[in-house]
Amino acid sequence: MKAHTGDKLTIAGHRVGEPKRIGRVEEVRGADGAPPYRVRWAENDHVTLLFPGPDCSIEPMDAEREMEGADR
Amino acid sequence: MIVSDFTWREPVTIDVGDTIATAAQLFADAGVGSLVVVDDDRPVGIVTDRDLVVRVLARGLGSDGRVDGVMSMGVVALDADDDVEELYAVFARHAIRRVPVVDHDRVVGMISLDDALVSTAGQMAALAGVLSTQIAFPHVRDEADPPAVIST
Repeated sequence: MKAHTGDKLTIAGHRVGEPKRIGRVEEVRGADGAPPYRVRWAENDHVTLLFPGPDCSIEPMDAEREMEGADR
Repeated sequence: MIVSDFTWREPVTIDVGDTIATAAQLFADAGVGSLVVVDDDRPVGIVTDRDLVVRVLARGLGSDGRVDGVMSMGVVALDADDDVEELYAVFARHAIRRVPVVDHDRVVGMISLDDALVSTAGQMAALAGVLSTQIAFPHVRDEADPPAVIST
């Protein structure tokens, strides 16, 4: 897994009705984009250190902006 | 006060490819209630003794399955030099009961909500003892440091 500062991070819910968790990568502490990351969580605006598991996906900030542009 | 000032337990880790039987044996041998699941020394999840009951026994799964199939994925962690307020915030905002402590991104400890409560209660008791003494002997400080007499 690789990420850059500003990327969107999503952790899938594992039970019916459990919401996915969404955050924004504020700092990449590993080498070459590797974990751990400091993540600001959308649900509470709190920043934590995260070692992501296999249920975590990264959406590059550039791709996200392109999608937003396509929607307009 | 920082996280490393807190009482914590030595972390017990298990490799992501190890079996549920190995996890159960570690629980028995180490006398802990949770294991940090690591992949190439990097934490990727946590498995608790309750996970073995709810996710293995209750579903009739065998003990030869991989531990990463029953772990809680992803690990929210604290740096050893984080302020202790961060510890409280993590417990309060992320609905978790155990948090690994890392030093240079290596797991060096584990603090449970129970540990935090006991440690905080100990500090409260020490402060209450100081306060109790001050209430019982309110003039001790005055007697220890009488006002200076200026000779004329």
